[in-house]
Amino acid sequence: MLKVPYVTGYLSEHFGDDGFGTLSGYEARGGYRGLRQALDTSPEDLIELLKSSGLQGRGGAGFSAGMKWSFMPTDSDRPKYLVCNADESEPGSFKDRILLERAPHQIVEGILIAAWATGAEKTFIYIRGEYAFPADQVDRAVAEARERGYLGAKVMGKDFAHEIVVTRGAGAYICGEETGLLESLEGKKGLPRKKPPFPAQYGAFGMPTTVNNVETFSHVPHIVCKGADWFRGFGTEKSPGTTLFGVSGQVQRPGLFELPLGTPLDEIIFEHAAGLLEDRPVKGVIPGGMSMPILPANQLDVPMANEFLRERKTMLGTGGIMVMDDTTCMVRVACVISYFFRDESCGQCTQCREGTGWMNSIVERIERGAGEQSDLDILLDVAGKMEGQTICAFSDAAAWPIQGLLRHFREDFEAHIRGKKCPFPGSFEL
Amino acid sequence: MPRITVDGEIIEVPDGRTILQALDDVGLLMNGVDIPHYCWHPKLSIDGSCRLCQVEVEGIPKLQIACNTSVQEGMAIRTDTERVRKAREGVMELLLVNHPLDCPICDQAGECKLQDYAYEYGVEASRTREPRRALKKNVDLGSTIKFDQERCILCRRCVRFCSEIPGTGELRVFNRGDASVIDVHPDFPLENDYSMNVADICPVGALTTQDFRFKIRVWFLEDAPGICTGCSNGCNVHIGVANNKVYRYVPRRNDDVNDTWICDSGRMSYKQIGGGARLKEAGVRGEAGRLENTGYEAAVREAAKRLRSMIEEHGADSVVVLASAHATNEDLFTLRRLSDGLGAGADGVAVVQGKSDALLIKADKAANAAGARALGFGPAGPVLDRIRDGRAKAAIVLGHDLLDESHLGGTEALEGLDLLIVLDVQQSALHKVADVVIPVRHAAEKYGTLTNHAGRVQRVEPAVEPAWEAWSDGEVLTLMGQALGLEGFEDGYDPAKISEWMSERVSAFAGVHLRVVGDQGRPLPGERA
Repeated sequence: MLKVPYVTGYLSEHFGDDGFGTLSGYEARGGYRGLRQALDTSPEDLIELLKSSGLQGRGGAGFSAGMKWSFMPTDSDRPKYLVCNADESEPGSFKDRILLERAPHQIVEGILIAAWATGAEKTFIYIRGEYAFPADQVDRAVAEARERGYLGAKVMGKDFAHEIVVTRGAGAYICGEETGLLESLEGKKGLPRKKPPFPAQYGAFGMPTTVNNVETFSHVPHIVCKGADWFRGFGTEKSPGTTLFGVSGQVQRPGLFELPLGTPLDEIIFEHAAGLLEDRPVKGVIPGGMSMPILPANQLDVPMANEFLRERKTMLGTGGIMVMDDTTCMVRVACVISYFFRDESCGQCTQCREGTGWMNSIVERIERGAGEQSDLDILLDVAGKMEGQTICAFSDAAAWPIQGLLRHFREDFEAHIRGKKCPFPGSFEL
Repeated sequence: MPRITVDGEIIEVPDGRTILQALDDVGLLMNGVDIPHYCWHPKLSIDGSCRLCQVEVEGIPKLQIACNTSVQEGMAIRTDTERVRKAREGVMELLLVNHPLDCPICDQAGECKLQDYAYEYGVEASRTREPRRALKKNVDLGSTIKFDQERCILCRRCVRFCSEIPGTGELRVFNRGDASVIDVHPDFPLENDYSMNVADICPVGALTTQDFRFKIRVWFLEDAPGICTGCSNGCNVHIGVANNKVYRYVPRRNDDVNDTWICDSGRMSYKQIGGGARLKEAGVRGEAGRLENTGYEAAVREAAKRLRSMIEEHGADSVVVLASAHATNEDLFTLRRLSDGLGAGADGVAVVQGKSDALLIKADKAANAAGARALGFGPAGPVLDRIRDGRAKAAIVLGHDLLDESHLGGTEALEGLDLLIVLDVQQSALHKVADVVIPVRHAAEKYGTLTNHAGRVQRVEPAVEPAWEAWSDGEVLTLMGQALGLEGFEDGYDPAKISEWMSERVSAFAGVHLRVVGDQGRPLPGERA
């Protein structure tokens, strides 16, 4: 049985059911009907279906999945590949892990439909190295699907060949960035590639490639079975469907909750996650994994969809919600976040390599009580220099949370500087 | 040819290139259009990581890196806006966060791009209060290169160079983020035939050559254009000179010859110019069997006098002439005319062979082997045969390459000659048996042209003056021709005039001479080079 609390939707309906992870259990609950249906549909119509469903990528950037599929060249005789990005490493996110563990066939089915739609002959599932148990589940599901004839030279007896290769990461956050992933997949150091060329032209092993997140693939069979209108029945007009919100932090019932996009943040925290421990007040909430800017307590009414979150200068990211109560020192939060990004920067681009380290040094100095008022301007200035100027979005992801913390919790930083020490109780090891 | 607009000026550029490549192709990069850059290098793959070359491209909201953005018809670029300036300032400040700023004791100072760009595009003062990264100092990466990890700005040019040019891949980036460092693997030092180029392309003082570091501050050096004489590739070099002394060669870009590279042994061949092995005194062997210093011009005249009496005694047929592939085309054209004018029994050229590769290093270990051949100097064999079998009584020999194992292997065979006249740049065992020894100039000490392996004629000019009396071979041979009363030597030796005359007289050189080859050389007619 799954131990974390969850709220069910179409993705997670059978999560509590141990048989769902096996091929027979998955099929008994309607699995692979979407693939059967897709193979009777033309690739063009499938891509149109995906576009009209409005499914946004669930890996963090929120780009239209149907558009992404349509970028794959149709006139190329080179082999085309798909990559399933299962390198879930964003602190605060654990949705893909549960999907991999509980519903691997849902992913495999989504991959096969995408493969048919894009003409891909092979898919690489790149799984975070630490995800040993999830990887075992995927290995097993792939073997079952192959044995059943859902993979191989004739998928479901049709004139369509597909193979899935499961590979494991080796422990770098940056390998979740799609081109860093491709480098790592090829056996090289995970350094994101400069663009152009984009993966759809020059991806894995130089071949046209589409990279989608685990959850993105998981939505696909449902959209094929039930249609775009059904899918648009969930969520908001601009952000249709459900998503898996992972709630952690000082809440009564941390867990994974499948809810329509646009569900208000306070509903997620106070209803689904049952409010804060000891009923303490909220101080701040990171809405979508650690790289997304924090929201203060007075903004919890925001509907959890990008069009609303952008107005609050943050984004949905991976839907990993981290709740912090009023005892939280936001400078310590800044220390943890900036250390993470300092440690995980690949080091290619100047701004990111040097900026992450500099920001981390400054916030740690402020926490130690040696900060100066001018440090806050420097932090914002450095974060500004790191934004939008680098090969990949990592540098932005490192800059945004610091900007968010200073936007909403500048007082915490100033209190450290004025008092020349951390005013919060407890010890914190730098 | 797409037309792009750069800061309002319309420029026609080659198609299929990125902005930096295209501007470099038309010679405007940093020479009219200033787009500072570190990781980009015209002869290496695009890295796109230093982020210094960002420019505004009309219609694209974000700044774009000029190194990786392809030019398109009608593209409008701005390099001079406030946004671009702020972005450059940002990169410069961040690059300096961990740089030791030890310019006063850094050997790169004066030719450091970090220093240059910090002055030009940087902020005035450092805002960091944190200690700078402490990393490895004074590291021997191999036998040629010293490394200072703290000064490195991780542009990774050196890493790409080793992977892409010699293909040896010794250098790598280890670790990640601000812990990234460049280093070699254990037991796999930086040792390849081109290793010292990494010091040239390193924009900062992280990589310096063992040979040049701390010899002299670079602002005391003057650069003279020259040609490396180590082999027949004819790599173009800047000769670094101060106080009439050569301190180094660094490659001078010539996309038709050596791109921006030079091999290590060629680079080190500058040492021959001022080295202790130079031949400095003219000498004539006297009655006592010793070489006596009779003065320079007197030695040349004595050589001519003895040659005349040999010809009177044994006939012109008894004279053989051996050219040097180290001499210029003009020297050798003069020798050709002397040989023909005398009616010498045989002439040829001795060329020492050595290792070669697919990149720059050629088997002919002399700069002008192709020129000598074009001027009709065939293999040395027939000349050496005449010396061995005694038909030759007198020999005029330029250089000492005939002593190589592949030719005579020693001086023994020469002992049978009645007269041996030697013109040479270096000392050698020849002087033990020579009757007249005349020091001549190195290619870096005279005007002239050299023909490389591919038939490209390239100019040399004096970078330094020898501190002793030495003429060019052509000048010595001209005086000998005059003394012997031969035709065509009356006007003396003016390299430019001789060169032009050669281009009229020798069909292989038609239209190609000193005054027209320019600083990038010119191929002989019919040569692709």
